[in-house]
Amino acid sequence: MTPTHLLDTQDWSVADVTALFNTADVMAQVMERTIKKVPALQGFTVGTLFFEPSTRTRLSFERAARAQSADVVSFAAGSSSLSKGESLKDTLRTVDAMQADLYVVRHAVSGVPHQLARWTDARIVNAGDGRRAHPTQALLDAYTFQKNFSGFDGFAGKKLAIVGDVLHSRVARSNAELWTKLGAQVTLCGPRTLLPPELEQPNVTLTTNIREAAEGAHAVMALRLQGERMQAGLLPSLAEYRVRFGVTEQVMAHAHPDALVMHPGPINRDVEISGALADSEGSVIEAQVANGVSVRMAVLYMLLVGRK
Amino acid sequence: MRVIIQNAHLRDGRGDHGAHDLYLQDGVIEGVNLGGKVDETFDAAGRLVTPAFIDLHAHLREPGQEQKEDLASGLAAAAAGGFGTVVSMANTTPPVDDPGVVASLIHKAERLGFARLRPAATLSRGLKGQELTDFAALKDAGAVMITDDGVPVADGHLMRRACEYALDHGLVIQTHSEDPGLRQNGVINEGVVSQRLGLPGNPVAAEAAMIYRDCEIAAMTGARVHIAHVSSKRGMQVVEFFRAQGAPITCEVTPHHLTLTDAVLETFDPIHKVAPPLRTAEDIAFLRDAVRRGVVDSIGTDHAPHTRAEKDRDMVAAPFGIGNIEVTFPLLYTELVEGDGLPLETLLHLLQAGPARVMSWSVPTFEPGQPADLVVLDLEAERAVQPETFKSKAKFSPWEGLSLKGWPMLTFVRGCVAYMSG
Repeated sequence: MTPTHLLDTQDWSVADVTALFNTADVMAQVMERTIKKVPALQGFTVGTLFFEPSTRTRLSFERAARAQSADVVSFAAGSSSLSKGESLKDTLRTVDAMQADLYVVRHAVSGVPHQLARWTDARIVNAGDGRRAHPTQALLDAYTFQKNFSGFDGFAGKKLAIVGDVLHSRVARSNAELWTKLGAQVTLCGPRTLLPPELEQPNVTLTTNIREAAEGAHAVMALRLQGERMQAGLLPSLAEYRVRFGVTEQVMAHAHPDALVMHPGPINRDVEISGALADSEGSVIEAQVANGVSVRMAVLYMLLVGRK
Repeated sequence: MRVIIQNAHLRDGRGDHGAHDLYLQDGVIEGVNLGGKVDETFDAAGRLVTPAFIDLHAHLREPGQEQKEDLASGLAAAAAGGFGTVVSMANTTPPVDDPGVVASLIHKAERLGFARLRPAATLSRGLKGQELTDFAALKDAGAVMITDDGVPVADGHLMRRACEYALDHGLVIQTHSEDPGLRQNGVINEGVVSQRLGLPGNPVAAEAAMIYRDCEIAAMTGARVHIAHVSSKRGMQVVEFFRAQGAPITCEVTPHHLTLTDAVLETFDPIHKVAPPLRTAEDIAFLRDAVRRGVVDSIGTDHAPHTRAEKDRDMVAAPFGIGNIEVTFPLLYTELVEGDGLPLETLLHLLQAGPARVMSWSVPTFEPGQPADLVVLDLEAERAVQPETFKSKAKFSPWEGLSLKGWPMLTFVRGCVAYMSG
């Protein structure tokens, strides 16, 4: 049984994830055709509820829905009548009157997808909640690794290094959850102010030393650094961050020879990742975006129709 | 008006007196086993009869926030929880910083006939943390406590001057001790759970550091400082450190900090969002131990009702506060006395003589002439928490469905029925 929602990957078994990746393979083939559309979700309505602006993720989901012939209704908090003070529940009630079968939800505060799931019969896909989870990003990252790592033979024994603002990163939390579930080791790296010690757990290690993080890693993922972290007293300067935590060719020299360079986007070139490295052969940053559509197609399909 | 409560198993601060017929006349205790004609008869066979509880910390929301609670609903809820006296917090709209407002609240409450109201007034004008309020005039109007509860007093200098000024008026200063800089925008205890849930954390250090500051000021000035809602082990250790030195400090713990951990936030239901935040099992164990060792002076409910719509917002936007005044005694009786071996007399003390001593009020007993404020408790029958039956306007609860013993059956205030079960 496929889980009802995708709030995070906690209640998704390895078998569920494997089935999802197999479905994504089929979807990837669809996206290689001249006519990039199948009728798989005809008659279904997908609602995108973006309480926090995000063009890239919303586009990816809408593409994934339309490529399967689903109808899409979009609700963006900024452009709607959502006023401060309206309860989340009232907002959902309004939107729910449009009878969508599945909502893709993004919100700046953790837990909102869980709250919505309590109040609607529709399926919920979390497209990012606060610092907590961004499960489709983690799924597409793992899928990209599986597809692109030379001679991939499973996640066991593999090491993923995630470097940057771990404290505020739902991408880091979701990847740590998913990759360890699949059998990999994850190392989280960043300045101590952005690296909460509580995130350490079995198969997840923390370090403030980027060379140690990259050592033997099969994939190195740089996280976007938000400019406002300096004002919040979390970092002294961008220059110091770049020197100590920028992912560069020198850092990658410590990694596995076939290591992949990843980034969830959007990139601050030459801040958290060197521009040359982002464009290098080992970089799968563009593949991540393309795979994002296939993986999200598979997520929508599995939740609305069921496992293939 | 003369009332008899038959077969009353009496227990007050002086001890257990066994079963008697208790007579109330014209609002005071008349005596036991007197005989003679009465206007009303109640039977308390099999029940415990004890002085009504005192809550030094409840948010009744009037004036200005009557959508959440008002004097009628809040004081009825208090009576239903066995409370005969409530100190209402002053963080209302506008804040209670004006003697006229204090007087009108008391006047209104007296006509209601539920629990007695003894209002707190704010420490700073407009709750802004800048200028002191008129302590003397507020006290003359009936305010019994000075507190900016709900908002920490960030400025240590203002807290010092408030303490000094309060000395001449015999007023208790209650503090909401959390350092705003350390607390930041935290909505949950900072720790393993907050990092897993990705919610902004409020570290224990925010509470412990501010308790330390407030205790230092109490020690320096000699003012009577009551530390509200101590939620953490480290915060309680600071209180103990100062009490061991004889500083004029008393402290309070709440029902929710004694029974719930931050793990309940895993549900992402903001009804569990409260300040200071729910902590860990280790903190609960330490607070319970502090209760046992006599370090804690009072249990204050910090009853803080909100509307369901406000709690149906996201975890950051939803307001802080848990409504609990109607379940406080059954909850603590079931979980601490029955479940954790706390002597019943200790729990009763923290709801009766304990808070009375914090305020320098006379300790409630059944001696003739004492106010006839009492509660009849059923310590046997088990019943689930049913928020829809609450007198409070906040008809939801973190303990919904939990089966508890120790429900108040009957509450008398001034010798009259303020609450009757069913």
